[in-house]
Amino acid sequence: MRRTLPLLAALALLLTGCSGLPRPREMGDMALLRTMGVDLGEEGLSVTVSTGPRAKGLQGEGESALVLSAQGESLSDAALTLQSLSDSYVFFGYVDQLLLGEELAGAGVTQVLDYFARDVELGLGAQLWVVRDASAQQAVEAGGDQGVEGRLSTLRLDGEMGIAALARTAGEVYTDLLEQGSAYLPALRPGTEEQAVLLEAGYAVLKGDTLAGFLDGDGARGLELLVGKPSSDIIPVELEGETVYVRITGGDTTCRLETEGGQVTGLTVACRVTAQLAEYRTQPNRNQLQTVEEELTRVETARLTRALTQLRAWGADCAGLGVRSALSAPEAWRQVKGNWSEWFASLAPNLEVQVDIQD
Amino acid sequence: MPHRDGGPHPRKDPRYDMPLSLENLEEVFSGCVDYMERRVYLNGDRERTTTVCYLLGMTRNERVSDYILRPLAQDPALSRVPEGELFSHLQYGALYNLAALRRDKLDDVVNDLILGSCALFFPGRQDVLTFPVPTEEKRGVGEPDNEPALKGSRESFVESIRTNTAMVRRHLKAPDLKIREHIVGRQSRTMVDVLYLEGIADPETVERVESRLDELDIDGVEAAGNLEEYLTGNLATPFPTMAFTQRPDRLCQALLEGRVGLMADGLPLAWMAPGTIDQFFRTSQDRAYHWLAASALSLIRYLCAALTLLLPGLYIALVTFHPEAIPSKLALSIVAAKQEVPFSTVFEVLIMLLAFEVIQEAGLRLPGPIGATVSILGGLVVGNAAVEAHIVSPAVLIAVAIAGVAGYTQPSQDFGNALRLWRFLLAILASLGGLFALALGCAALIYHLAGLETFGVPYLAPFTTGSQNLRGHPSLIRLPLPLLKWRDGAVHTKNRRNQK
Repeated sequence: MRRTLPLLAALALLLTGCSGLPRPREMGDMALLRTMGVDLGEEGLSVTVSTGPRAKGLQGEGESALVLSAQGESLSDAALTLQSLSDSYVFFGYVDQLLLGEELAGAGVTQVLDYFARDVELGLGAQLWVVRDASAQQAVEAGGDQGVEGRLSTLRLDGEMGIAALARTAGEVYTDLLEQGSAYLPALRPGTEEQAVLLEAGYAVLKGDTLAGFLDGDGARGLELLVGKPSSDIIPVELEGETVYVRITGGDTTCRLETEGGQVTGLTVACRVTAQLAEYRTQPNRNQLQTVEEELTRVETARLTRALTQLRAWGADCAGLGVRSALSAPEAWRQVKGNWSEWFASLAPNLEVQVDIQD
Repeated sequence: MPHRDGGPHPRKDPRYDMPLSLENLEEVFSGCVDYMERRVYLNGDRERTTTVCYLLGMTRNERVSDYILRPLAQDPALSRVPEGELFSHLQYGALYNLAALRRDKLDDVVNDLILGSCALFFPGRQDVLTFPVPTEEKRGVGEPDNEPALKGSRESFVESIRTNTAMVRRHLKAPDLKIREHIVGRQSRTMVDVLYLEGIADPETVERVESRLDELDIDGVEAAGNLEEYLTGNLATPFPTMAFTQRPDRLCQALLEGRVGLMADGLPLAWMAPGTIDQFFRTSQDRAYHWLAASALSLIRYLCAALTLLLPGLYIALVTFHPEAIPSKLALSIVAAKQEVPFSTVFEVLIMLLAFEVIQEAGLRLPGPIGATVSILGGLVVGNAAVEAHIVSPAVLIAVAIAGVAGYTQPSQDFGNALRLWRFLLAILASLGGLFALALGCAALIYHLAGLETFGVPYLAPFTTGSQNLRGHPSLIRLPLPLLKWRDGAVHTKNRRNQK
């Protein structure tokens, strides 16, 4: 029995479906890609990849980023071409940043996201961005010798800390597209020489799998508020004889479907925003604080209205208001779920905004 | 261990099948320069003589002179007592020695002489008297080199088995401490003692240990392996299945847990049976430190065992087969360091592991100061030079060094050696099939350990319920001593509770 058991266990390995042992690869011969940009190209798709800054040898002498570009009918075709362009083995396992060109986003992103979901080396954990007013290739190449990976990582971290646009992974966007039919993702645009290589450019909104449009400025702030993650924002409020600067520190948004006689009659979006006084000359008194709160309520309501107006115009509930309201009224959600897009476009949401200024 | 009566070299019993006589004894010891005889007139009476036989160096000369020869030569009663009562007169008091044994077999007399007795032969008698007067030349009781104590007893076992049993007896003064002696070795005739606490140790385990000792038919017990490998019978495993200690207090703790102790004359250590895996992670100081500190150290030792076992294999698997599992910044460093190294990662790791063993072995074999120099030269200078010359990458050096140093945290060097062997095996497996093969290797290791058993107790008993016996306490950590109310060592002890 003692000898039979291991034999049986070894035979059971044949049933696992593993066709063989994995192939070894030496890391020293690898070019670890960090950033990938995908555009529409003449042959189909154009893929640009960058390694980011590389160190060579123990002393870590700086070596410029390796940037490769290839075209193909499909992503896999372009990826194969990339392999032939490099002296090293091009390894896609470390691609953390995926940039999509505006044209490609307009034509549809499913092919790219699907490839990321299925490929052995790539994964849906990569951060996803849309490049405005330029191609993804231009954005990737904008980093020069240093690459753009560092800048994108900074933007992602800033987004997590609430001081930049919300970063989203390819997996989050793909899930939203599949579940809600729309999704939002941060947009970038190449900077000028005096500025950083890539600048924030609001949010891109996808409907179906194509680009519906961009939300900028107050619209972008409104979208952040709708998803309950407002980024830090300084709002000046004019009081008698002085300007008080208020920082938005947090927020929470709930939504519910209004029903009457069992029929859905409306959508209420309730936002609770927290803020702190950032700069002032004299401590505002209670009345002044009330004034500040009223002003902030007005500003945030305007932002929300702007975002909602635009999203309703596109019929894209990328903030997931419908899905979130379904939790409180599942029966009502069942009525409108099938054609939520039309409902969302036709319903004028009732906004309730409350601002709390914390000490 | 089956006794091979029909084998090519059957053990003769009795060894000397001849009548007991002075002539036959002389024949047995012919060619032995240390064999001595002296004919003595009892109280100067030429009609009454005896022959004193002994082995020079095995007996203590002062005792032979004072306790045997002086009374024989000077006691007037010896010339007056009737001829027929002379023998019993000497046996029961005329000589001052602590013990006097009447022997009527040549085998017994030969054995007594070898163990340091002197024998008295009387003309015309078929029996002799033997008096144990062994020499007590031995090393003084020193500090245990391998198990140093910061808080606790500083005595260590020595080469004399009787001194060792006395040290144990001084710790455990109960008469329940039983010490049974067995003679092992055709040529060495080594005394091997079995120690246990009656009423606490499992009688079945004691019986198993003793029967295996009796079945041992070897030439001599000159090294620890002579007992370990024969007694446990687990030859296919590199893992030690009997823990040993240099410290009497640790042996006593094991006896109190219900284990059986084993000592051999000439070896300054004692074994504790049955051996379970948790014993090899414990130190004698575990009970001396605060329980929180002891528990943390115990966990670190287990962690280090995993580290020393898996780290080289994991490094190979991740760097060669699954680079995507390495954090990106670490991967970039590895790539940068690896670029100018001409060898494959597998070769690098295996060579470094081998080099580590070579340096360690060289350091051990050389005398102390030179050994330390070789270690420094090998470890620091050559290692640093190899990295600077791009022969090995620093990441490999760090991985191998961490694995090596983690191995030194093991209290049992035997267990550490077994981990080192398996480390090579797992590294080779990882180089063949990455994490998949590494996981298979780990499964094989667990399977191997689960199959081990010593004296009826599973090796992994502390972590299994296979023995159907509740364990006394968790093995990964050490609970406060007032909570350790159950004995842990014996499987079928009659007395499991060790405190109120």
